Amino acid sequence: MRLLRLISWPYARKHLLRWLLTTAGIVLGVGVFVGMHTANQSVSAAFRETIDKVAGTTQLQVTAGEPGFGEEVLEKVQSLPDVRAASPVIEATVSTGKGNLLILGVDMLGDRSLRTYDLDGTDEAIDDPLVFLAQADSLIVTKTFAEKNGLKINSRMPMRTMQGDRVFTVRGIMKPGGLASAFGGDLAIMDIYAAQMFFGRGRKFDRIDLALRDDVTLAQGTAKLRALLGPGYEVDPPSSRGEQFEQTARIYSLASNITSVFALFIGMFIIYNTFAIAVTQRRSEIGILRALGATRSQVRTLFLVESLIAGTFGSALGVLFGIGMAQAMAGYIGGILTDVYGVAQRADGLDLNPVLLGGALAMGIVTSLFAAVIPARAAASVDPVKALQKGRNQALGEGESRMRRWAALACAAASAVALIFSRNTVIFYAGFVLSGITAVLLAPSLTLWLSRALRPVLAGIRPVEGTLAADSLIQGPRRTSGTVAALMLSLALVIALGGLARSSYNSLSDWMRIALNPDLFVTTAQNLTARNFVFPASLGVGLRAIPGVAEVQLVRSVRVTVKGGPVMLVALDVASVERRAKLPPVEGDQADMYRRTERGEAVLASENFVRLHGGRLGEILEIPAPGGTLRLPIAGVVRDFSDQQGSLLISRDAYMRAWHDDTVNVFRLYLTRGAREAEVRQRILDAFGKQQRLFVLTNKDVRDYVTRLTDQWFGLTYVQIAVAVLVAILGIVNALTVSITDRRRELGVLQAVGGLRQQIRHTVWMEAAAIGFIGLALGLLLGAVELYYAIEISRRDLVGIDIGYSYPVATALALAPVILGAAFLAALGPAESAVRGSLVEALEYE
Amino acid sequence: MIHLRGVSKQFEGKSKVTALERLDLHIDRGEMVSIVGPSGSGKSTLLNLIGGLDRPTEGEIEIDGEILSALSDDGLTRVRRDKIGFIFQFFNLLPTLTSLENVSLPLHLRGWPRKKIDERARELLELVQLTARLEHLPDELSGGERQRVAIARALSIFPPILLADEPTGNLDTHTGAEILKLMHDLHERLGATVLIVTHDHSVAESCPRTISLRDGRIVADQHRQALNQEVSRA
Repeated sequence: MRLLRLISWPYARKHLLRWLLTTAGIVLGVGVFVGMHTANQSVSAAFRETIDKVAGTTQLQVTAGEPGFGEEVLEKVQSLPDVRAASPVIEATVSTGKGNLLILGVDMLGDRSLRTYDLDGTDEAIDDPLVFLAQADSLIVTKTFAEKNGLKINSRMPMRTMQGDRVFTVRGIMKPGGLASAFGGDLAIMDIYAAQMFFGRGRKFDRIDLALRDDVTLAQGTAKLRALLGPGYEVDPPSSRGEQFEQTARIYSLASNITSVFALFIGMFIIYNTFAIAVTQRRSEIGILRALGATRSQVRTLFLVESLIAGTFGSALGVLFGIGMAQAMAGYIGGILTDVYGVAQRADGLDLNPVLLGGALAMGIVTSLFAAVIPARAAASVDPVKALQKGRNQALGEGESRMRRWAALACAAASAVALIFSRNTVIFYAGFVLSGITAVLLAPSLTLWLSRALRPVLAGIRPVEGTLAADSLIQGPRRTSGTVAALMLSLALVIALGGLARSSYNSLSDWMRIALNPDLFVTTAQNLTARNFVFPASLGVGLRAIPGVAEVQLVRSVRVTVKGGPVMLVALDVASVERRAKLPPVEGDQADMYRRTERGEAVLASENFVRLHGGRLGEILEIPAPGGTLRLPIAGVVRDFSDQQGSLLISRDAYMRAWHDDTVNVFRLYLTRGAREAEVRQRILDAFGKQQRLFVLTNKDVRDYVTRLTDQWFGLTYVQIAVAVLVAILGIVNALTVSITDRRRELGVLQAVGGLRQQIRHTVWMEAAAIGFIGLALGLLLGAVELYYAIEISRRDLVGIDIGYSYPVATALALAPVILGAAFLAALGPAESAVRGSLVEALEYE
Repeated sequence: MIHLRGVSKQFEGKSKVTALERLDLHIDRGEMVSIVGPSGSGKSTLLNLIGGLDRPTEGEIEIDGEILSALSDDGLTRVRRDKIGFIFQFFNLLPTLTSLENVSLPLHLRGWPRKKIDERARELLELVQLTARLEHLPDELSGGERQRVAIARALSIFPPILLADEPTGNLDTHTGAEILKLMHDLHERLGATVLIVTHDHSVAESCPRTISLRDGRIVADQHRQALNQEVSRA
């Protein structure tokens, strides 16, 4: 403690900027970690909270996937003596132009035994549910929603429904709290039969909420209901819907976790780099301490405690920064999840998990300590005699360098061997980690070699400034290599993600060219993933009659559970699809697979379904449906991007039989030769637009939508790039600040013998540019390797699609000016400090 | 050549320290002057002010007709670049550059053509008898050799003023004597004005004029010729 006050504190005070930069590394790492996780958790928590609040006293829910089930199921459930109360529900989210509104269609006669409607004031219409029922345009809204939108009792509220544009009347306002606070208060209640009509559900319900008799346990009730209803139905407590949501968004969580862990890893590098530099710079100080009797362990402890303090301070700030970041990100993440998975949720408040925050704090501190272990050991092993000798102490020992190179070679060899046995997941990931370690170990040597190679180039540009800049890098490999390594790792990750995005776009573009080739799409929402409204099949007949329409394909997509996971079932007219948009097989015989699927004897599985759920060609899948479990073999595997969790293509006839559902999500329209897209679109809107909620999207609209969705998804990549650029700036500022301190005398001499301020600035700028260039070169190189692993990880464990290797040349080219620009920005401060300091002091500097 | 009028220099800190106090000094072109005095008397401060490395708190310094206080930082650098050569006690050679590169440095900063720089640097290193050490790094040279490189660098543009701060302070007696001889030779051959700050009496006595400082004031300004005459009269 005394040493800390005597030695560390004055050093930290003198090098405040550097100390802050060190802390910034951990702030960034912990901040991104906390921010990402908290935002994700908040969205999930908001979803769960909405489920909880909407559930009321519901103990169990009966569902049959998204298509729902017929009204007769309600009678069956109610007939079970163990059930105390059962009430049907239709739940849908509609866009009101002022955000999403969650609409709950309930039976007001029976629902009050499950949910409490705490109404503001009295209103006859609500007091008598029969009056409420008799008026299909009745709506109960929450006080929050009413105040936000200036609504009062009897206010009118327009909405686009499957019955066309309708005006609803507010007949009740719920007091805040309980059910009224679900979905951030943006909630409205509608009569269930009105909801059936307005959402196009026909005579179906989405689910039944029920409560059991007091003497019946949850397990008993569940078992009896399952036995009663058969395999096509699911009977679960409301909380399981949260789990389903999390399972659906699994890939997103995984991707964001990778980002946050990466940020922490980079933070660790910055700390390591700073401490490694500090040890080198404080050699003489350590030498004096050792000469005065300090033990090795005291010196080691001194550095570790310094890192502990920096880590604690940085982690605490990081947690605060992360909370701020989560606040800003929760809405964005909620938007992504809504758009990508079609499950609306909103997070108004943050779900601050003390375990996560405490864990992040501990992780930041441990990371900081871990990063300081090697520098602390190096400090402890300083030879006092050598340390007290004046002279260069930055040079990397040749022995140390050789040892690193050998270790790198061993890691590279092990990584190559791991590739051969990469079928095994553990070996594959070990190989991936080893490839990164190889790069990190080689970074100092490669930095040195590249600096030497750059010397004549820089000297050619500016003889003095260029030479001095290159020499500074050559003389201070410790100072530079940590920064270069951090830069290399971040840029490699950017390249890997950029490459993954590019390959995905290429693959997606191929798929869109084949699969999304209709001229027009008639949908119930502009957001193609939303499946709250459905069309009646009869609309297809009307559409076919529109002049200019040659063919109409009816598509119904629903999420079902197959092989224990959520999967998108796409029911369509297979013969028509084969004729118009034939997806080439990844596995299976093309003619046979379409023929069998068309007959309803088999399904086509998407490539990602097969990989993610462990399916294989010919395997018989069990697909639970209200009409009984479907047992269909996989007749072929095709590349389909309909859903991240995988999709199954089934004949529409087979679907209708099993689910008793003939509704449609999307009509795919092919026009006759010469028909004009805009004219046909207008004809459709004129014919049906007023009668029901309907959107006509052109082929370009849909492609743009898919591309936008993909862009949104890859928004994480931009977060990574931002982190990488921040790391670049932090690292380079750090390296340059140290470099300028190291070279104060050198820069002073340069000025004393006639170097102008601008020439000194050029020296610093060129050094920064050289660091940026070397980091960039190594990053782009390592990126090529990491991209291979990213594509493999994506294929094996994330998306399940083999998207092919395509190096993101455009990203690489774009990174060059970004990183060199960042290097220049990072150099501005240090360059100014180099020219502003006292020349006399610089010349006397030891 | 060098005029100081009422020059003072104070250093701000916890307490104000006066390094030079209202100093008036005139040095003619081609003079070789030694500046002596105990530690803290203001010798190095005086040299730094004349060399434009630092600015006075009060007073005016004129170098070859240019008033330094009127110049910007870059203007001061230009004066250093065109009129002044520095020789430091600790040589201040750039450790990563060879002897030839170190000597070339000021010429590069002036933007001379490479060929001309190379010729001049070789010529100067020959002048200081270091032809055999052109490609050596400072670490590979002895103390005396390093100071020779530093002198060659200071002479690279044949400046009219040469400022040396304890040029022999970091050398053994024999090497120090050699360096001093070299400086005298160069002074005679090149005709530059030379100012040497030193603690060493033999170095001071070798110069025709010696200025003694104490507590930031000139306490003696002796011309060797006059001194010699006084001694012989006595």
